[in-house]
Amino acid sequence: MQTQNVPTEGLQGIVGKEHVREASAEDAVDGVEPSLVVEPGTIEETSEVMKLASREGLAVSVRGGGTKMGLGNPPRRVDLILSTARMDSMIEHVPGDQIVRVQAGLQLQDLQDNLAESDQMLGVDPPEEGATVGGIVAANSSGPRRLRYGTIRDLIIGVKVVLADGTVAKAGGKVVKNVAGYDLSKLFTGSLGTLGVIAEANFRLHPIRETARTVFLEVDEHAKIANAVQELTHSSFSQFVLDALEMRWEGDRGVIAALFEGIEPAVEAQSSTAVEVLRSHGETHILGEDDGGEFWERFARRPWDAGDVGLKIGAPPSDLTAVLDSVVGAADRAGVGASLSGHAGTGVTFAGLSGGEEGLVEVVGEVREIRLRRGGSVVVQEAPLAIKEKLDVWGSAGDYLGLTRRVKEKFDPGYTMNPGRFLGGI
Amino acid sequence: MTESNGGRNGSGGEDRYSATEATERRDHEGTTGEEAMAEAIGAGSPEDIGQSTRAAGDSIQQTIGAARAESGSYTFPAFDDHHPPEKDLIDDCVHCGFCLPTCPTYVLFGEEMDSPRGRIYLMNKGLTEEPLNDEMVRHFDLCLGCMACVTACPSGVQYDKLIEATRQQVERRYDRRADDRAFREMIFQFFPYPNRLRAVAAPMRLYQRFGIGDKLRRAGVMQRIPARMRAMEALLPDLPKEEKIPDLTGPVGERRRRVGVLTGCVQRVFFSPVNAATVRVLAAEGCEVVAPKQGCCGALSTHAGREEESLDFARKTIDTFEDLDLDNVVVNAAGCGSTMKEYGYLLRDDPEYAERAKDFSAKVRDVSEFLQELGPVAERNPLPVTAAYHDACHLAHAQGVRKQPRQTLKQIPGMDVKEIREAEVCCGSAGIYNMVEPEPAAELGERKANNILKTGAQVIVTSNPGCMLQLQASLKKMGHGGLPMAHPMEVLDASLRGVPVETLLDK
Amino acid sequence: MDRGQLIETMQEILGPEGVIHKREELRTYECDGLMNYRVIPDLVVLPESAEQVQQIVKTCYDEGIPFVARGSGTGLSGGALPVESGVLIVLTRLRRILEVDIPNGRVVVEPGVINVWVSQEVADEGYYYAPDPASQIVSSIGGNLAENSGGVHCLKYGFTTNHVMGAEVVLPDGSVVHIGGGKSPDAPGYELLGAFVGSEGTLGIATKITLRVLRQPEDVRTLLAAFKDTEEAGGAVSGIIGGGIVPAAIEMMDALTIEAVERQVSPGFPEAGAILIVELDGPEAEVESQFDQVIKVCEDNDASEIRIAEDDEERALFWKGRKAAFGAMGSISNDYYVQDGVVPRTELGAVLKKIADLSEEYGLRVANVFHAGDGNLHPLVLYDNDTPGEADKAEELAGEIVFACLEHGGSLTGEHGIGRDKMKYMPQMFTADDMDVMQLLRCAFDPHRICNPGKIFPTPRLCGERPGPFHMHPVQKAGLAENF
Repeated sequence: MQTQNVPTEGLQGIVGKEHVREASAEDAVDGVEPSLVVEPGTIEETSEVMKLASREGLAVSVRGGGTKMGLGNPPRRVDLILSTARMDSMIEHVPGDQIVRVQAGLQLQDLQDNLAESDQMLGVDPPEEGATVGGIVAANSSGPRRLRYGTIRDLIIGVKVVLADGTVAKAGGKVVKNVAGYDLSKLFTGSLGTLGVIAEANFRLHPIRETARTVFLEVDEHAKIANAVQELTHSSFSQFVLDALEMRWEGDRGVIAALFEGIEPAVEAQSSTAVEVLRSHGETHILGEDDGGEFWERFARRPWDAGDVGLKIGAPPSDLTAVLDSVVGAADRAGVGASLSGHAGTGVTFAGLSGGEEGLVEVVGEVREIRLRRGGSVVVQEAPLAIKEKLDVWGSAGDYLGLTRRVKEKFDPGYTMNPGRFLGGI
Repeated sequence: MTESNGGRNGSGGEDRYSATEATERRDHEGTTGEEAMAEAIGAGSPEDIGQSTRAAGDSIQQTIGAARAESGSYTFPAFDDHHPPEKDLIDDCVHCGFCLPTCPTYVLFGEEMDSPRGRIYLMNKGLTEEPLNDEMVRHFDLCLGCMACVTACPSGVQYDKLIEATRQQVERRYDRRADDRAFREMIFQFFPYPNRLRAVAAPMRLYQRFGIGDKLRRAGVMQRIPARMRAMEALLPDLPKEEKIPDLTGPVGERRRRVGVLTGCVQRVFFSPVNAATVRVLAAEGCEVVAPKQGCCGALSTHAGREEESLDFARKTIDTFEDLDLDNVVVNAAGCGSTMKEYGYLLRDDPEYAERAKDFSAKVRDVSEFLQELGPVAERNPLPVTAAYHDACHLAHAQGVRKQPRQTLKQIPGMDVKEIREAEVCCGSAGIYNMVEPEPAAELGERKANNILKTGAQVIVTSNPGCMLQLQASLKKMGHGGLPMAHPMEVLDASLRGVPVETLLDK
Repeated sequence: MDRGQLIETMQEILGPEGVIHKREELRTYECDGLMNYRVIPDLVVLPESAEQVQQIVKTCYDEGIPFVARGSGTGLSGGALPVESGVLIVLTRLRRILEVDIPNGRVVVEPGVINVWVSQEVADEGYYYAPDPASQIVSSIGGNLAENSGGVHCLKYGFTTNHVMGAEVVLPDGSVVHIGGGKSPDAPGYELLGAFVGSEGTLGIATKITLRVLRQPEDVRTLLAAFKDTEEAGGAVSGIIGGGIVPAAIEMMDALTIEAVERQVSPGFPEAGAILIVELDGPEAEVESQFDQVIKVCEDNDASEIRIAEDDEERALFWKGRKAAFGAMGSISNDYYVQDGVVPRTELGAVLKKIADLSEEYGLRVANVFHAGDGNLHPLVLYDNDTPGEADKAEELAGEIVFACLEHGGSLTGEHGIGRDKMKYMPQMFTADDMDVMQLLRCAFDPHRICNPGKIFPTPRLCGERPGPFHMHPVQKAGLAENF
C-alpha cells in the first residue's frame, strides 16, 4: 500500500533507472506493500540510497533471497525494499588462509560451488534454497551442521555495513584471529536488518570432508529419542566428530540421524561405534555418502507447509523429551496437528502446527508457558498473518529488552529500518 | 520426564546448587519469566547465591581487615644498605602472575599485596619510594616463605633470597608492637634450644599424660589465652617417651659412607623416634652414623630474618660437623636441610667461614635424597598400606626433592602411595608461621587436611616435623586426630625390621 | 561524595577487608601484566558476590565515578589499568564454580574462576574447557571473556567467544541483564553476548558466566619438529594446512625463543633455527592417518629432527616450553615488549622477513613465538630499559611491526586486546567512521562513560546530551575525552 510520496527520481539518479521499480503484491511483507524496490550495485550506491531514504523518512526493508521475509512481527511500515541481488560477487577467496570475502547478495549455493573448486566450504547449511549470505547472517539461519561448525556467528570474521543514515563502517577483518575493536560482526548476526544493511561479510572456511556416513534409527517414543541423543553426545564422540545429530517426529514415529564426515577409515570407525551405542535403542541403518546426501536433503527440511504455524524452540538439549511431550501434548489437547524436526544435538526443535486459529494460538501459549519455567525460547518463524496479529512472534523479551532498545536507538535513531519487526516490537 | 539438570556437588562443597532445581521453586520474587531467563544461564534464584559468599574465612581480617596488627612504626627509606632485597633479582620479575595461584596467602585472601608478585612490587617500591610501615610489614610477615612461587615462576625469580633479605630488614628497622615482639622473643628463647624446649615440654607432657589439658579446656581456661598461645597449645603433639640415639652407630655389613646426622630441635624433643629410625635405616644401608652433641641449625632464625642469631647458629653447626671426617651430613627435617644447604650463601660475608660454609653445604643431603643417591641395598619387607605423601615446602620447593621420598616409599613392596590434591600449596606450618599467624595457618591446615582425607589413605607420610605438628593439629580439630602420621624413615625402618603394618599404624 | 565518604560507603558494602585504600597497597594494583603503564587507582574494592558488584557499580554510577574491572591482572594490553580518580573492582574473590551440567555440556562460573580450574573440574567426567591461553593457570574466566582470549588450540576450536554461552552482566548503571541463551541455543534478540565478549571490560561486568565444555578427544598426538629457519618451518605449516588438515594446534618458536626457554625451563628442545609444535586430536583413525601425513610434510620440508611425544608427560613438557616463552624472556633480556599482531597465514613468511630486517635496522633483537596456524604473531622486542633511549626505540620498532602486519592485511591484535597499549594504532586499522559506529554500541551500554573509560578508542565519543546543568564529566576532567 502506498504510504508515502517516494522520490523515485532521486533513487534512479543513484542506481540507474533500470534498477528502481514499483513494488508489486509479491513484494509485500506480511501484508504491508512497499512503494518501491531498489537494487544498488555497490556499497557506495547503497550508502547513497540509505542517505536519501533517511532524508525522506522512508522505512526500509532489506531483502536478499527473500526466503525469510516472513520472519518477525508484521512491520509497522515498509516504504522501500532494498534488494542486494546485484551485489552478488565473491570479493576475495584465499584458500591458503581459509577465508573468503563476499558481497551480501551472493547466494549461498553459488558461494559453495565456487569454494568447492578449492575443496573448501562455508560451514553453514540452512535448508532454504536461494538464501543469500547476507540474509543468512541477518536471520541467523542454520542447518544440521551447526553442531560441528557452529552457527554463522561462529564463522563470521568481518563485516561491512551501511547504517540508516548512510554511514559505511567495517568491523573485524579478514583474519580468523582478531580482537581489535568491538565484534560488530556478531552484533549484526540475527539482527534482521534492524541495525543496518549488511553489505559485505568475511568468513572463515573449512576443508570439504572426504566422505560421509549416516547412521539413523527409528523409535516410537519421545524419551527414546532423548536417550539416544544423550548417549551419542556423551559417548566417546567429542562435539567435533559428530557433524550433525538430528531428529524428526511425526504422528507416533520418530527418527534420529547422525552424520559423520571425514576420511574413510574415520567415518567407518565412527559409524560402527554409533551403531554399537544405539544398538539397545532399536534397529539402526547406515548409509553411504550418496544415499546419505539424499537422505539429508529430505531430513533437514522444516516440518511445516504454507499456512501452518512454524515454531523454533530453543531448549537445553537434555530437555528434549520435555519439549516433544509439551508440543505433542498441547497439540493433541487443542486438536491441532503437529510435526517436529530439529537439531537434537544443540537443543533446537522445529514444530509445524496445522489446525484452527484458536487451537494454534493455544498451543503456542502453552508451549511458551512451559519453556518459561524450564528455560529456553519459543519463536514463531512462520504463521499466517491472522495468527501473527494475535500473538507476538518472539515471545518473552527477558531482562535485556531495555538494552536491546538502546542498541537499536543508537544505530537507527530514526527507527526506519524494518520498524516493528523485531523483539519487543522494536 | 527427563531430568534436565546435571548439577552436582563438586569440589566447591555445599555452595553448589542446581539452577534448574532452583527455578522449579516458586516462592521468591520476580516474574517467572525473569527467573527463567536467569535460570537459563545458571543464575537460579538470587537468594541462593546470596548465601555463603565469603571467599576467604575470617583470617582475612588479619591482612587488610579490622584485625590488622599495627604499631605505627615508620621508617624511610624502607631499607638500609646492609643486604637490601637486590634490585637485579627484583627486575627478573616480569609481572606475569604465574605465581599467584600457587601462593597460599593469595589462595586465601585473593588480593595482590599478599602474593609473590605483589610482595616483590612492595619491595621494589621500598627500595626507592615507599617507607617501611605497618602495611608493608603486614604483607611481608604474612608470607609463609614456602617458595611455591619459586617453583612456579617461568622467569626464575629468586624470591627466596628476596624475602630473606627483606625479613632481615624488617627485624632491624621495624618496631613491632610490644606483645608481638615479646611473643616472637619467647619462641626464639625456646625452640632453638632443645634442652629448654624439653624442660618446657615436660610440664606440658605431664599434664598431657594425666589429661590435665582437657580438664583446663573444659574449665574454659583455654579460651582466655590469646589466639597465638592457643595455637601453640593446639599444636602440642601426643608425646612419646624420648628415644635416645648413640653417638656412633656402626654400619650393617660393609661401610659405604660415613655420615653425620642432624638431630634437630623440635625433632629430637617431640619426634625422637624419627631420629632413632633414621639412624637405624642409615646403618642398615651401610652407613657409619655419627650423632655429635649439637645445637640448632638456625633454620627458624634464618627464615624469620634474625640475621645475627642465624649466622651464629650456622657457624656453630659448621664447627660441630666439619672436623668429623664425614662424607655427608644427613638431615631428616626439611626446613633444616634447606637452610644448611644455604650456609654458603648465608656466610658469604664472613671471611673466616665463607669457604668452609660452601664446603659444608655441598655435603648436606636430605635423607631420602641421600638414600636414593646411595642406592638401596637392605632388604625391604612388605608393608601393605595406603599412604598419602605430603610434600614439605622446604623439601619440594626449596630443595627440589620430590621424587626421592616417593621412590623411598615405593621401593617398599605393598605400599600404595597416593598423591594429595593441591600438593604444592603449603599446609600452613612454615616455620613459626602457625604460631605467629594462627588464623591463616589454621585455614591452610584445614584445606590441606581436607585434601588429605580425600585420598582415603591409612597413614600420612611427611619429612618435616613442623608439617607433622600442623597436620596433626588440623586433623584433630576436624575430629580425625587419630589418623596415623609417620616420617619416611619411620616407614622404611618398619619395613627393614619386618615390623607389621599394625605397629606402624598404632603410633 | 569525597574520598573519605566513598571509602566508608564501600566498607559498608564489603566490610573493611574488602576495601584497599592505603597508598602502598594501592600501588600493587597500578598495572596489570603490562608494566609500561601505571596509574594508581583511587580505591580498590574486592567484592565477594554478584550482589556486591552490583552495589559497587550502582554507587559509582550515582556518583559519576569511573571504574575498571580486573581479574587476575595478567592482561598484556593494559585493559585492567586503573583510571585516575577511579575505582578498581577486583573480581578475584568471585571464584566459585556454581554449576556443572554435563548432560548439556555447560559449566557456570563466577568471573574470578581461573581458566584451568574449569577443565580440572570436569576432567573426571571426560570433559574439558577448550580455550587455553598461555596464562591459563592464572588468568580468570572474566578476563578471558573481556579479551576474547585464544590460546594454542584456537585454530581448530575457536576462541572464548565460541565457548561462552551466556552471561549475567552488571551494566554500568548498576542494572543486571542476562544475555545469551545459556543452556538454550539461539536466544531471541540481538547477539548482545557476542558483542560483549571481547569488549575489554568497557560495556559492563560479567558476574556469572556459562561456559561450554567439550568431550575430551579420543586421541591426541603431538610432535615437535626442528627446522633450519622459520622459512622452512613456515613451508611445513603451509603443507600441513594446505593438505586439508586442521591441526588442534600448530605453534612456532624461533632460535632466540628456544634459547630463552631452554635456559629457563629446560624442556630439552633441540637446537634449531625454528621449532614447530604440532598437535592433532580427534577420533583415533583420523588422527593416526593425519599424523603420518604431518610427519611426511615435516620430512619433505627438511626437518632436522622430529620428536613424537610418547606420553602425556612428554606432551606436557613440549607445551610447558611453549607456554613459558614470554616469562622466559626475562632470562635473556632485561626488558621486553611483547606484540600481538595477526597476519594472514599466507603472508607469514613475508612479515617474518620484514621483522628480521627491522630488527637489524634498529639494532634490537626480536624473538618470535607464534600461532603459526592462524597467523597470530608474538614478536618480543628485547631491550634494556637502563640503556638511554632504548625503550623508545623498542616502542618504535614495535610500531613498525604493527604497521607491517596491517599492510599485509592483518590485524592489530589477535588475543591481547587493544586496551591502552594499542589505542594509538587504531586509526591505522579503522577509519573514524568505523570507530564511531563501534562506539555507538558503547553508548548503548555505557552512556555516562564510566565503565573502563580511556581504553580501545583513542578519541572517545560522549553520547548525547545530559539533562540539567552542565557537569564536567570526570573523564573530561581527566583530559581523556571531548564532548561531541
